[in-house]
Amino acid sequence: MALDRAASASNRFGLGARPGALAAPGDPRDWLLAQLRPVSPSAFAGLPDSAETLRRELAFRRERLAERRAARDPVTASADAGSEDARNEIRTRFRQTFGRELLAELAARYRHAVRTEQDFLERLVQFWSNHFAVSIDKRQAALYAAPMEREAIRPHVLGRFGDLLLAVESHPGMLRYLDNARSIGEGSWLARVGSRRMRPESGPTRKLGLNENLAREILELHTLGVDGGYDQADVLELARALTGWGTAGRRELRAGGPLAPFAFRSAAHEPGARRLLGRRYPEGGVEQARAMLSDLARHPATARHLAFKLARHFVADQPPPALVDRLARTWLDGDGDLPAVYAVLVRSDEAWSASARKFKTPNDFVLSAARGLGIDLGARPEALVGLFRRLGQPPFLPRSPAGFADTAADWSGADALGKRVQLAQALAARAPAAHRQPLATARAMLGRGLDTDLGAALRRAESPEQGLALLLASPSFQWRT
Amino acid sequence: MRLSRRRFLIASGASATLALWPRTAAWGAPGGADPRLLVVLLRGGLDGLHVLPPLDDPDAARLRAALLPDAPLALDGSFGLHPALGFAHTLYQRGDLLPVVAVAPPYRERSHFDAQDCLENGTGTPGGSHTGWLNRCVGAMGGAEGLAIASVMPLSLRGPAPARTWSPPLPQAVDPRLLERLAPLYAADPELATAFEQVAAGSLDAMAGESRRARGRLPDLAGVAARFLAAAGGPRVGFVEDSGWDTHGSQARVLGRKLAELDAALEAFHDAARAVWPSTVVVVLTEFGRTVAINGTGGTDHGTGGLALLAGGPVAGGRIGGDWPGLGVRSLYEGRDLRPTGDLRGLLKGVLGRHLGVSEAALETQVFPDSRSVPRMEGLIG
Repeated sequence: MALDRAASASNRFGLGARPGALAAPGDPRDWLLAQLRPVSPSAFAGLPDSAETLRRELAFRRERLAERRAARDPVTASADAGSEDARNEIRTRFRQTFGRELLAELAARYRHAVRTEQDFLERLVQFWSNHFAVSIDKRQAALYAAPMEREAIRPHVLGRFGDLLLAVESHPGMLRYLDNARSIGEGSWLARVGSRRMRPESGPTRKLGLNENLAREILELHTLGVDGGYDQADVLELARALTGWGTAGRRELRAGGPLAPFAFRSAAHEPGARRLLGRRYPEGGVEQARAMLSDLARHPATARHLAFKLARHFVADQPPPALVDRLARTWLDGDGDLPAVYAVLVRSDEAWSASARKFKTPNDFVLSAARGLGIDLGARPEALVGLFRRLGQPPFLPRSPAGFADTAADWSGADALGKRVQLAQALAARAPAAHRQPLATARAMLGRGLDTDLGAALRRAESPEQGLALLLASPSFQWRT
Repeated sequence: MRLSRRRFLIASGASATLALWPRTAAWGAPGGADPRLLVVLLRGGLDGLHVLPPLDDPDAARLRAALLPDAPLALDGSFGLHPALGFAHTLYQRGDLLPVVAVAPPYRERSHFDAQDCLENGTGTPGGSHTGWLNRCVGAMGGAEGLAIASVMPLSLRGPAPARTWSPPLPQAVDPRLLERLAPLYAADPELATAFEQVAAGSLDAMAGESRRARGRLPDLAGVAARFLAAAGGPRVGFVEDSGWDTHGSQARVLGRKLAELDAALEAFHDAARAVWPSTVVVVLTEFGRTVAINGTGGTDHGTGGLALLAGGPVAGGRIGGDWPGLGVRSLYEGRDLRPTGDLRGLLKGVLGRHLGVSEAALETQVFPDSRSVPRMEGLIG
């Protein structure tokens, strides 16, 4: 396979070429599609699953509640200051335990992204992770954002979109991030009994009722798209059908069994048949919203919305309409079979045309530089978090459920570009000795993206270090071509 | 051309960088002034009752004894000002500070996340818009540009109108020779050429001046914002943010420290923007207030009615704005919070309309959609 085609394949569809990785023979399209096989689970071994985290979080909360009760009880609470210290200690312990786990998640994620030979698959994981954005800014969801990527997205990225959608919408990360876990049907048993019970003494601090947040984002962001032809009544109907979709509580966890972190609470579920997008869904408990999600996953508007997003992510900010059409048709013909859609994308002429180019996000800039120079990013995850924060793309911290932006205009401002130049210098200084040959490294990383001007500049560099900095800071390295 | 940033900084200062900024068109500002706006967002839910204790409210002493600051600074007799806000007090005495009490965004639940979302998207519902009211305001001004002193564009300034971010650069000093060698490569890239020229010229950094070494604390960021807003061709709408205002425990200690920072930020901004202070309004916002009652850990929990501060030359200050509902049991919202009597969107409409000259139609349909029923708060400016 010609080196420049291979470099292009790796830049456009992957996370950038690793040294020597482009020597593989054959057609670059076949090479990419061959990467679409499951990753060995050992890459993420040792990280706790969400059910386990949920159990520990509940235990932690119980402990805190007991502390608070003790502080209120004048007999057992010897001194107020003492109980406050105890609380602070618990809080610190929470941060230490769970904060460390988040760093371990990030270390594993970045180490894998830098080392993997299946970087096209990894790009797809990151694409879907951003499509189904969850922010650790929301405290209730903080412990489940990274696990959601591992547990809901990775296993389904090579399957059907319907299964991916269902896995995400029933994961604690999404259920908590978009408030569905506390959404209660107004005609549900819980609302009727709960409102009678709660009013007298606990006051109006908790309002029992419907929360539309998840339903709205499912329609607007996750499936149909903002112009997908739904209205406010559809949002409400989906929200009502989703009532009862929550995370396992103490009782469910204690009951044993498979300990899925998802729990359906029929007491909170709004009874009755619902109508979504003109179609009737009879009452069926958890199955009602399941059926809705399944239909949404194969809706033509969803196919179009996702075809556009995929083409925009891999081909160009304004993707060719003909390509979007073909992707959408493949989606519908294959009932949301994702690998079939990926194959059309990779085999399309549009993706390989000279005019197709994408500006790297900060995440992809750092990952491709680390891959090209053989730098381990997993070693100091806390430093990495700080760095990505300053570059404007901290992991699992999108500013909204829409996820991080995906066009050049969002990432190519002067402030961002200036920081890339600074970072290019810093990364060049960390390159291992084996990769301190700017011209050879540039050829391996850029293929046809290495133009004569950059080549000449690299030849004239005063030191290998300056050459590498020049390479990473160059416009050619900022673009995927 | 030699593109040594260091030399450029020394030789030219801010004025030579102006050519790099898009030409600012005039918008319909009253009096033909060149108005500026800085939005300061305090994330976490500031306790307005602590900042501005209602001294003559008979219920304050009963409900708030442990959290009434010692020796509050005198305001109009009915309210005092937290003693950490010495500079703000000076502004008040000069008529340049207007605290507005009992205001809140239309959101009535108690999630920080959703409340900030509403406050920033400018609607009554979380997820109500994926663009921010401040960005739509910039769009309505025409020819203006917004700048967030932040590494991630905040929702407030997200959207199609021109806006960018600036944050303190990474610690590595850039070798000027690297910039020099990159220059011809970027000059050949039509999409990146302008941004790179700004990098090479250090245009934003030049405006930021010494604050390039800012560490990200609020006073630093406010000072940087002032330099940008004061520059003749710079952005006219600025945004800075700070977190850590969620005070469930040890509130007196935490707010003593945080309010001193806010005060230092106002002073840093004022001093660096002195020349344009007469045409600048600073709006300090937070997503909601806190409970009136003190909790078991010397703090307060999430409440509703909050506080906004307006500062600047054009502000009709030296008095307390807003409609005080009182802390009597029957006056409280849901029996626990200060009842909001003013909608923050109404306050912002008052500032944007009177100060920036944004039209009523644009305010109702574009900046704060569906806010026709929210009356514009009058008398804040001028």
